[in-house]
Amino acid sequence: MNYPDVSRPFLSERTAVRRAVHRSAAIAGLCMLSVLPVSEVDIPGTPLSLSLLNAAWSQPVELSALDNLTRGNELLLRGSYLGAIEAFNSVREDAWREQAALGLSKAMAMTGQYDQAIAAVRALVRDPADTPLVATQLAELYRMTGRSAEAQELLAEVVAGQMNPPVRTLVQYGLVLDLRGELDAAAVQYTAALARYDSGLVFDSADVGMVALAAWQLDEFHDANALFAEAVRLDSNNLEALTLWGDLFQEKFNDADAETNYNLALTINRRYTPALTGMARISSPERYLAMSLEVNSRDVATLETYGLLMVRNYQQDVGRDYLDRALAVNPESVTALSSLAALAAINDDMPAFDALLQRVNAFSPESSDFFASVADYLGNNYRFTEAVAYARRAIARDPNNWHAHTVLGGNLVRLGEELEGKQHLEMAFDNDPFNVMTSNMLQVFDVLEGYATLETEHFRANMSHRDAQVLWPYMAPLLEESWATLVEKYQFEPEVPVLIQVFERTEDFAVRSVGLPDIGPLVGICFGKVVTLISPDTLSANWQEILWHELVHVFTLQMTQNRMPRWLSEGISTWEERQARPEWGRRLGLELVRAVEQGQLLPVSNLNEGFTGANSNADLSFAYFQSYLVVEYIAEQYGFEKLHELILEYAHIRDESEMFANVFEMDMVSFDNGFRDWIQQRVDQINVYVHVEDSDDEGAGHGHGVRENNSAVLAELYNNESLKQHMRGRVEQQPRDFQAHLQLGIVLFREAAYDEAIFHLQTAQGILPDYSGYPSPSLVLSQIYEAQGNNEAMMEQLAVMLQNQQHDYASALKLAEAALEAGDTGQADYYLSRALAVDPYQPQIHRSGAQLAQQLGDTGRAVQEFEVLVMLDQSDPVDARTNLAGAYLDNQQLDQARLTVLRALETAPGYQRAQDILLRAVERSGQPSEVITQP
Amino acid sequence: MMRAYQLLVVLMLVCCGSVFAQTEQAVSQPGSGSGSGSGFGSGSEDTPWFQQTPENNKFALIIVGASANDEIRSRLRAWVTDLHASLREDYGYDSDAIELLIDDGSNVGNAASIVSGGSRVADIEAAIERIRSRSEAGDQLTVFLFGHGSSTFGDAKFNNVGPDMTGSELADMLSPLTGIDMVMFNTTSASFEFSRELAGLGRVVVSATRSAAERYDPLFGGFLVAALQQKRADIDRNARVSVLEAFNYASGQVAQWYRDQDRLSTENAVLDDSGDGLFTREPGTGQPDGLLAEIAYINVISAGTQKTSAEALRLSAEMQSIEREIFILRNQKVNYLEEDYWNRLEALLIDLATRTRRYNELP
Repeated sequence: MNYPDVSRPFLSERTAVRRAVHRSAAIAGLCMLSVLPVSEVDIPGTPLSLSLLNAAWSQPVELSALDNLTRGNELLLRGSYLGAIEAFNSVREDAWREQAALGLSKAMAMTGQYDQAIAAVRALVRDPADTPLVATQLAELYRMTGRSAEAQELLAEVVAGQMNPPVRTLVQYGLVLDLRGELDAAAVQYTAALARYDSGLVFDSADVGMVALAAWQLDEFHDANALFAEAVRLDSNNLEALTLWGDLFQEKFNDADAETNYNLALTINRRYTPALTGMARISSPERYLAMSLEVNSRDVATLETYGLLMVRNYQQDVGRDYLDRALAVNPESVTALSSLAALAAINDDMPAFDALLQRVNAFSPESSDFFASVADYLGNNYRFTEAVAYARRAIARDPNNWHAHTVLGGNLVRLGEELEGKQHLEMAFDNDPFNVMTSNMLQVFDVLEGYATLETEHFRANMSHRDAQVLWPYMAPLLEESWATLVEKYQFEPEVPVLIQVFERTEDFAVRSVGLPDIGPLVGICFGKVVTLISPDTLSANWQEILWHELVHVFTLQMTQNRMPRWLSEGISTWEERQARPEWGRRLGLELVRAVEQGQLLPVSNLNEGFTGANSNADLSFAYFQSYLVVEYIAEQYGFEKLHELILEYAHIRDESEMFANVFEMDMVSFDNGFRDWIQQRVDQINVYVHVEDSDDEGAGHGHGVRENNSAVLAELYNNESLKQHMRGRVEQQPRDFQAHLQLGIVLFREAAYDEAIFHLQTAQGILPDYSGYPSPSLVLSQIYEAQGNNEAMMEQLAVMLQNQQHDYASALKLAEAALEAGDTGQADYYLSRALAVDPYQPQIHRSGAQLAQQLGDTGRAVQEFEVLVMLDQSDPVDARTNLAGAYLDNQQLDQARLTVLRALETAPGYQRAQDILLRAVERSGQPSEVITQP
Repeated sequence: MMRAYQLLVVLMLVCCGSVFAQTEQAVSQPGSGSGSGSGFGSGSEDTPWFQQTPENNKFALIIVGASANDEIRSRLRAWVTDLHASLREDYGYDSDAIELLIDDGSNVGNAASIVSGGSRVADIEAAIERIRSRSEAGDQLTVFLFGHGSSTFGDAKFNNVGPDMTGSELADMLSPLTGIDMVMFNTTSASFEFSRELAGLGRVVVSATRSAAERYDPLFGGFLVAALQQKRADIDRNARVSVLEAFNYASGQVAQWYRDQDRLSTENAVLDDSGDGLFTREPGTGQPDGLLAEIAYINVISAGTQKTSAEALRLSAEMQSIEREIFILRNQKVNYLEEDYWNRLEALLIDLATRTRRYNELP
């Protein structure tokens, strides 16, 4: 097990949930299982616990009080809480009464019987200083049940009345003071606990675990880690230390080590709710939370975690219910109160927010954690401006709240306020260098420092120097084209400049976007004013479509102050793809028919669940698809104006059904019915048979990228005869079975039965003329014609394919080269642009582009192409530079021509073509070429 | 440091890189030539290597070891037949100056007419002896090794047909070739340890791999042949391909291949030309290796056709002189301010270009 390592980033998709509850979980009741050491009485030759458990099962045996106490502790440790309660209740002797009461109280608390747990110890606390451990247990229960004032009073008495109060008392006192906003006083208690350890007076595992917790609270993470390790070494059954240690790992985004710890705890006690809740924050949340609630239906940390999970999954009502249940047990749960406050803030319900804030202020005035938590939630929901405001408030209250600095820094960055954002991230990192998220975000700043900054009228871009040279010449005009198109269409001008950041490494893109290095299939993200993208150099998809998609988000998000739900924002962006270029966007075909037949379509009111509940890339891709369908439906049936109206509705805080009623004059159910009718009409029009044995086409990047027809790809692996027989049977039964025709065509092509293959492929093409998957009928047809030597027909089919398939640069280049050869500069230009839209890093595209430019006499364009080639064509830099110098010369850029050709001649001084360009450049710039420097 | 300085002096003396150098008598050779590292006594470090003139011969020894399967055999044979053709057509080698040794020498298909024999140890010894008998001091031998290598158990070995050959055994076989400049291209898997045995003062040794752990069949051999074909690697456009140019081209293509495949490279070619057996991954200016490789050319130098007028001869000499100055300036680039460097270079290049234009206009 390792200390949290800043270089080992781990992802949890539920970081927001984790962040909000981990520390409250750490301090709110994990102590329930610090089993008292009563095992000094040993039975030689027999493990005590085993002998006692055996004794318990073998009736009838009269056990002593000590036996019952030991048995109770063992049962408590193993999670047999009812058995433990029974055992502790059996202890009657005064000598063991205090310890039995402590055990009883803990067992009852573990099962949610908090009143009984309090009653079990309260009677023993007459003078708290005389019974410090019992008093501390009582105070912990008070804190867990929202009675922090009483807890504070009780602990204060113990600390005041004892020369050396127990370590546990000191730390628990510190936690109560922290909760109540007395941060300096809390630090005094933590420091005292650490001082006790430093003086060599802490030996017990449970106490060492408490000292570790104190170190954690003082942000001494190294010490906390070492102390937790020591506590577990002293007693490997110290569940409290194991779980708190796991929480520490989790706070630093080290899920792997956290999971190890939780699992170790659960191996000892599979009903230990703090470990179950910890696991829930890492994986299979519902399973672990259900297990935890089965043990203790009133466990506050579990209820908080469940609530946040539901809220995150857009089940706000269910989430609120869990949070309310947590508050019913502990009205002072900052996590629950701040989560509800965040919901109020996101719905602009400020009276509700203020009421919740007042409740917090009643026990913890101006709680820094409260504001940081609200800020985090708002930031994760694209409300960056408000997130920044609340994070600032958190820092104003507690300048040492490093989490708040991270939240503030991250959200400032998303607003494009890079400088200040970086300052806060650096401050957080300096004081908490083990927070992987902070560290990762700062590392991306280092990456950005090596990037070029480029500008157009409305955009500023950061990208690598390679991309600046290769990508930017083609990106810049597209950016401004999008601006002009979308401003006119949406009658809205976003704030400028819009920041575009293009990352060469997927990990950097992910960290910049979400703070952690794994972001799944996403290839671009828009934050409203900032767009982050993966460099097309690492994609095999149409980067222009992706960029356009994200730029549409800039408009829709800013038009609604980032209040637009994800489904509609994605739906509009996907719909706009096709509006921008005919070959972009989605095709309605097999996917739609299959979705309808399988009943996959979600009600419009639940579309966000398609995103939040996606368990796979395919789920996410389908969520984009259905959102797009709804927007297509609106645009087609009601017109763009209604779509525009709907967007503007989201700028206000209203119920979604009210917005739909305002725009469409119908309720959501009626709208949904209309949508489904429209879909059915589309399905009828498409009129394709979808066989149950065929699978969906699969693509990367949630729809951006080639979608592979797995059935057809697999066809190549099948036995030809049996496949043919099977597919012929399918075609006979269902003449409009597209897949069967396509697969037959592929198999017959492989057998060189070209005529029959062409028949089936043309039939497939007729059924779904705009099919865009890979392989498509047109692609296979082109291959057949190529095999037959029919170049013209081959090119014709490639052109057909490219009408619907936008991710194939090679075919586009082939068509461009053919057009160049035929002198058709228009077609050459078109197909080169198609190739560039997919892979601008292919030198051959630019060589052809330069050739075209020279044919057109477009010297500026020739320069651009040769400039790119200097970057891309590393195999012959001398020639690349010489070509560029020649292009500069033709374009009257004499100084650039000289400088460039000098670099070529530096390597190859005898290269006469370069020498000639140098002399011509010198002559044209008016300098004498007969410079003789040597005899 | 001393060694680097001495090599710089050598470079200055031998007018490296000039398109005209091949038609000129080089600076007279002060020593008797190079050989294995052990053959040098005190003061032999001053000996300049790779100063071939039209009077010197160049030989190539291409050794193809045992193949693991038919596919590899076909691939290796395609490479070496292409290499054989390229050496003749692009670099001016006579057919009888190329010894191509394959497997056991039989069943070589279409390559029968160019194969000299098998690649058993005895065959290699015989081929080296044939070269020795026909060569003189100042000539050049380039050895190409294709096939599989191993260095898992004990000595690094080249997998011949029959008993495998170690690097030291090959070095011993080559030791009689005193005064012959040598270039070694070892393109086999796990070639590094074997190649290290061949390193010596005055030799340029290229290994397709940089450690014994790089044991998968390298791509380097194929890209080396591609580099030589049609002089693709002639980056400085002087119509000749130096060992450094061939190395850079091939290793660059290997790296690009792995990048394109999105795979971690399992091979990293290295070069040693300082004789210390410490190989360099990116040889060249400012590196411990590369200076000798830059002047070691694959091409056979031919007398060519010269313009004989007095002005042509004068211009030719002047152009060589300017080229020499350019190389000196380039090698001292770090000693100049950026702007100063480019101004000086431009002046020299304009001068060179002007004289070249005038030279070309002469009858």
